[in-house]
Amino acid sequence: MTAYLVRRIGQAVAVVIGVMILTFILIHMEPGSVARSILGVRATPGRIAIFNSTYGLNEPLYAQFVTYVKQVFHGNLGISYQLQQPVTSLIGQRLPRDAVLLGISTALALIIAIPMGMYQAVRRNRLGDHVFTSVSFTLYSMPDFFFALLLIAVFAVQLKILPPTVPPADSVGALLADPRALVLPVVTLSLVTVASFSRYMRSSAIDVLTQDFIRTARAKGMPERKILFRHVLRNSLLPVITLLGLSLPGIVAGAVIAEDVFNYPGMGLLFYQAATSHDFPILLGSTLVVGVATVIGNLLADIGYAVLDPRVRYGRP
Amino acid sequence: MRITRRLAAMAAPLTLVAVLAACGGSPAKPGGNNAAPKGHMVHGGTVNMGWSGASPNDIFPLPPVTNSDGYNANLTNPIWPTLVYEGDGAKSAVNPQESLFTSINYSNGDKTVTIALKPWNWSDGKPITSRDFTFVYNLLKANATDWLFYVKGLFPTDVSSVSTPDSHTVVLNLTHSYNPNFYTEDVLYNIPLLPQHAWDKTSAGGAVGNYDQTTAGAKAVWNFLQKQGADMSTFTTNPLWKVTDGPWKLAAFQNNADWEYVPNKNYSGPDKPIISRMNNLVYTSDTAELDALRAGGALQVGSLPLNDVKQIPVLQSQGYSTVNQAIPGVAMIIPNFYSPTVGPILSQLYVRQALEDLINRPQLVAKVFAGYADPGNGPVPLVAGGQWVSPLEKSGGPYPYSPSKAIALLKAHGWKVVPNGTSTCQRPGSGPAGCGAGITAGEPMNLTLAYSSGSTTFDQQEAAIQSSEAQAGVKINLKSEPFNTLVSTVGICNASSHPASTCSWQLVDFGYDPDNGLYPSGEGWFNTDGSSNQGGYQSAEMDSLINATEYGSSTQTFYTYEDYAARQLPWLWLPQQSNIVVYKSTLGGITPLNPFSGSLNPEVWYYTSS
Repeated sequence: MTAYLVRRIGQAVAVVIGVMILTFILIHMEPGSVARSILGVRATPGRIAIFNSTYGLNEPLYAQFVTYVKQVFHGNLGISYQLQQPVTSLIGQRLPRDAVLLGISTALALIIAIPMGMYQAVRRNRLGDHVFTSVSFTLYSMPDFFFALLLIAVFAVQLKILPPTVPPADSVGALLADPRALVLPVVTLSLVTVASFSRYMRSSAIDVLTQDFIRTARAKGMPERKILFRHVLRNSLLPVITLLGLSLPGIVAGAVIAEDVFNYPGMGLLFYQAATSHDFPILLGSTLVVGVATVIGNLLADIGYAVLDPRVRYGRP
Repeated sequence: MRITRRLAAMAAPLTLVAVLAACGGSPAKPGGNNAAPKGHMVHGGTVNMGWSGASPNDIFPLPPVTNSDGYNANLTNPIWPTLVYEGDGAKSAVNPQESLFTSINYSNGDKTVTIALKPWNWSDGKPITSRDFTFVYNLLKANATDWLFYVKGLFPTDVSSVSTPDSHTVVLNLTHSYNPNFYTEDVLYNIPLLPQHAWDKTSAGGAVGNYDQTTAGAKAVWNFLQKQGADMSTFTTNPLWKVTDGPWKLAAFQNNADWEYVPNKNYSGPDKPIISRMNNLVYTSDTAELDALRAGGALQVGSLPLNDVKQIPVLQSQGYSTVNQAIPGVAMIIPNFYSPTVGPILSQLYVRQALEDLINRPQLVAKVFAGYADPGNGPVPLVAGGQWVSPLEKSGGPYPYSPSKAIALLKAHGWKVVPNGTSTCQRPGSGPAGCGAGITAGEPMNLTLAYSSGSTTFDQQEAAIQSSEAQAGVKINLKSEPFNTLVSTVGICNASSHPASTCSWQLVDFGYDPDNGLYPSGEGWFNTDGSSNQGGYQSAEMDSLINATEYGSSTQTFYTYEDYAARQLPWLWLPQQSNIVVYKSTLGGITPLNPFSGSLNPEVWYYTSS
């Protein structure tokens, strides 16, 4: 296991470096002038020259990359061209907000989806299974912006029992001080992801229920509840663990639509706005953070596999 | 050249997501339901005002060239107003009461400007003096190219000397004679006064001196103030920013979020704030702001995107009123005269005339903009243009909608017109009946119009133009892109520089309204070497007429330029949408709206009680 971990961490570092190189090249291949995008329609050649000189954009691409790598190794992701703030501080402000919002909504989605998937597997092709399938498919197929606006229209505009937007907060503590404001964004993000978790859970549990060891356990007279919780649940969680690992970069990358609708400035909006304005430092910084989250998520998923399923022997034939 | 400062928040709304369909109802009539509130004026109270997408990040009122965030002016103008206050009620005129000067006199053939300052005070009780003006002048003189609003050849490089005969008089000797209207309304309006007695220092702990009087010292002061101004964590605590001369002081500032004002109790001006706090609440998008308005309670003032004009009855039921705020700018489609493919076609005046003849501007105003738009008859906006709107523009402009005239023009110049198809040139050549120089036989009238994406209103406008142009066989291919992408790929193309990489565009509509200022001259836009002459329009006559508006002194001179530009079509004129301001009906003082304030005169707002 130790050798496996060392190998995986080495791979992760290589992946992150690859992400850095690839994104740097791809972002700089974007057509158009960065300076004009930032300075606007009225950008004069003189202003463009000052801008390019200030941010080193008049240097050859390889020199810019070397500067960028040096900055990253010093913990500096550069200054946003548009927002004129250090990228590390922008990410530092927004990442915890997204971690709260998406962390809570993912947890809520799991709390709903795991028992729902188990129930559907046990009651396969019965009324309850069909009802939950219909509900989860309906939610899954619903665009999240539409669902969000629907919730706002009902609970904020008509019933006036929940605020339509999240007030600004410069710390996680301040954000959690008004939990009512988080209800609608959390519900929106949770319900649209319940379907994917529950479908995986259902399908996995159905597979496990047909395994020989379950039949053996039943034949030995083990109570059904014990079979479900001790054997079926644990074995069915493996694909969900993979999904969970893969959702970590999603948590870090933010939820651009929900952030936009609920007035919740997070990583998603930061990246979106940077992408539309050629704000390279933010794009590179966000991509790097998401790249790191992706390899960590995968690593955690693999470790989770090993913990849940001792039969898995990494690195052995 | 015009500079967008106060109107950043009015730029075309580019929403990220579509807004849920309205709950029914029809739009209110333009002009809005803006009757004066009933009841008595109440002193005190807090007003929350919504801003969509605002992100001020610099508090020093002379922003550096690398920071083009227009919201910084929204943050600083109420704290440090400019010398010349534009807009007097709803009138497009200088406001003499709110301005920092008593008089501005031009003499010596309009080469000498004498500015008499009002005997007002800074918030710390020290008087505002002519030394504060020379402080600003010295800083800008030493750092002109690092100032965002510097226009080559204008202030401060056009000042040969400055003298201060007394503590409240400044005399500027200029290198040129200028049209006084141009210089006051287009140049001096950009200059705030700054407290020399508190800011003339090079470090936080250093003593205040006269550092600005040497170039090296002025650069050191500039660098120090720029660095302090960019430190958002100290906006409310830095002693520098506590010395103000506007009606408001900054009370709170959240990074990338809200900012709040309280009244400057020592404000010397006539309109002392009546409310006790003004909170500017930042929303990530128009959608979020609209939801907050519809839910009621959180916002007392906000704005409504034209996409959502059908929401007005819903907002009225929540106790809001609406008012139409004209924007002092014009909207346009810019032709690229140096397009490698269609440049020769767009260079023909008769082609541009035909294109304009086919734009049904009254219908766009009525149907697309629901009446909330300036008709767009030429280079000066009809509603906010004040005294500079010529009789020709008032009468509807030179090109009223006329498809038959467009078809006749094209036919007369050798085009085979194929309505709802693609017209082709049948008679090439540069003679009077030919298609024009550079246009080959069989060449199609096939043009690509790039425009800013994200706004349903603009989508509808461009689709309507595409449809109406088709009547004369002008095939318009629409291409929408995010605003910043459009800006970055549409280069300034002219005779000396039109690289294929950034000059392949043909027609562009930024959905962007240039801020004309009080004096809407064509400097920068239409002169041959204009810094924002995107499409490379070139005309010695136009250059001469624009020069006359800056250096001459008669209204007729301006009208001559204006009518020439309206007829020559360096841009195709489009309706310019208005800003719809939404406010609680219990709030007074909102109207009449100053077109130039960008809704930033809360010092005259007040609550009423019955």
